[in-house]
Amino acid sequence: MTTMEGLAHGLAVALQPGVLIYSLLGAVLGTLVGVLPGIGAMAAITLLLPITYYISSEAALVMLAAVYYGAQYGGAVASILLRLPGTPQSAVTTLDGYPMAQQGRAGVALFTAMISSFAGSMLGIVILVLLAGGLSQLATSFGAADYAAMMVLGLVAASTIGEGRLSKSLAMVVLGVILGCVGTDVNSGAQRFTFGQVQLLDGINLVALAMGLFGLAEIIGNIRKAEHDGPPARVSLRELVPTRDDLRRLVAPIARGTALGGFFGALPGTGSTISSFLSYALERRVARQPERFGKGAIEGVAGPEAANNSASITAFVPTLTLGIPGDPIMALMLGALVIHGIQPGPMMLEAHPDMFWGLVISFGIGNLFLLVLNLPLIGIWVAMLRIPFRWLYPAIIIFVCLGVYSVRGSTFDIVMVAGIGVIGYALTQAAFSPALLLLGFVLGPLIETNLRRALLISRGDPMIFLERPIACGFGIATVALLIYGFVKHRKHGLQEKRGS
Amino acid sequence: MRRDLYDLGWGVILALTGLAVAGYAWVSYDMGSLRRMGPGFFPVTLGLLLAGLGALIAIPAMGRPGQRRPFAWPETIAVVTALLVFGLALDGLGVLLTTALTVLIASAVAPRRGLGWRLGLTIAVTALVWLVFVQGLNMSLPVWPGAWR
Repeated sequence: MTTMEGLAHGLAVALQPGVLIYSLLGAVLGTLVGVLPGIGAMAAITLLLPITYYISSEAALVMLAAVYYGAQYGGAVASILLRLPGTPQSAVTTLDGYPMAQQGRAGVALFTAMISSFAGSMLGIVILVLLAGGLSQLATSFGAADYAAMMVLGLVAASTIGEGRLSKSLAMVVLGVILGCVGTDVNSGAQRFTFGQVQLLDGINLVALAMGLFGLAEIIGNIRKAEHDGPPARVSLRELVPTRDDLRRLVAPIARGTALGGFFGALPGTGSTISSFLSYALERRVARQPERFGKGAIEGVAGPEAANNSASITAFVPTLTLGIPGDPIMALMLGALVIHGIQPGPMMLEAHPDMFWGLVISFGIGNLFLLVLNLPLIGIWVAMLRIPFRWLYPAIIIFVCLGVYSVRGSTFDIVMVAGIGVIGYALTQAAFSPALLLLGFVLGPLIETNLRRALLISRGDPMIFLERPIACGFGIATVALLIYGFVKHRKHGLQEKRGS
Repeated sequence: MRRDLYDLGWGVILALTGLAVAGYAWVSYDMGSLRRMGPGFFPVTLGLLLAGLGALIAIPAMGRPGQRRPFAWPETIAVVTALLVFGLALDGLGVLLTTALTVLIASAVAPRRGLGWRLGLTIAVTALVWLVFVQGLNMSLPVWPGAWR
């Protein structure tokens, strides 16, 4: 299938009423959770996972993806009006978005965020299509050893690039991989760590784990934190209109942000939050008057918003073409695909063209929905900010319970989610990253399978990882990242000591 | 705090978990060979790796001052109780009474006190559950006490 045929095919899939409606639903839900501080895209996608059991695989993925990029649009609203980021990706938007709002330019800041998000997403789709075909071709030459090495690289990259101590990040990844071992071993049929519990034969349920780690843990931490006084002002449609000078200033930051986000989104382990910070740093560096940044520079909103949306689209490249999720949200997407019996990887373009091209086209449609819905309805979203978190979280808890229960009608699972939730909150509170745990949980079984296969092929000779150029390259990159992480950590530690 | 007790404590917990995983897998599962790995090979390696990382977290934490981080005890207890009550009461009380009870428990730790808004919220959420899950999605749930619909 050529790219043009693929796109035409995708259009036919994405325009089916049964898919289109979920695209719209996802976009609206995504904006909503993005707008409301205290619940992010991660938690929202987790909460929606049980529903995807009941709808077609295309509709399910289209909806979850729309929630993800929709949350990027919504996240900017709370960032600009309240200086309270609705999602981590929009944290950097507070830096110049909130000062703009204080200067009475809230409308222009919102317009900038929306139009930059839209442009970033659309160009991100182009990058996705260009990269995906080539990468799939390349990946068909990958062997089991290459896959195992690449996944290890992905996990190490995610641990070194994130915040916090390297040892703590790696410990979370390893713990996640261990949890992934629970259940029946695919190769030998042995039951590992099930302790005679029938419920654990299929392994720990992804939905229960994610609900506890993200849904519950986030609620516990946010009950006090997410209370605020509501937005100071209403925003009318007329205020959205930017001046000619504003528009002129937008173009270059959007282009730079998109390119940056498109690149880093496609790398395993980086993702949209980091892209938005990098874009902000870049804009400040290239600006003629860098002192304007932090005081309401429109470039400081445009660049990062374009970057995080572009990255959230290209993040699908490694997930769909290699079967390797770059960040925890993509790990959930991968989980959803696997629930529907679709194994992403280099064969996916061939084996499931409906899913791949339908998803690509749905990104375009979903973003169009978001732009068309959000600009005229901005007043409604701003009004949503007046809903206090204390009205929301009890309802979310009920939703968590019913969602987990609906998967297999087991009250045991609800009790398990409570336990995982406490552990998740305690880990977050001690500056561990539960997101990395989930990434390890999803990738772990894939690493084990490929590792075993590679060593079976090489007759137990571990040199296979050095002899194959691709695996060896990934291995060198992994070691380099570990050294980089260690050096960064040492510097950080020394500064801490000097500071105290 | 003179020592970073969080990292110290968690480092020790993770190291012990790792050792337990490795030990249990070593005893219970076949290790196999490098050529044909048994089910025990991967867990034992990972357990030892986690034990090492736990030590790497705990040891530096001994010589480093830590900061106290607030732990949201009341919120944790309320949310967990709410879930446990939901899980345990659902089969006996039915989804509507269970929902009402759960919302009342969960909202008890909200920053704003008072019973009025909580009762209002309870009625609203219970009505929503009835409308969406019972009437709309037709989920197979016990609706009223002692009876499956």
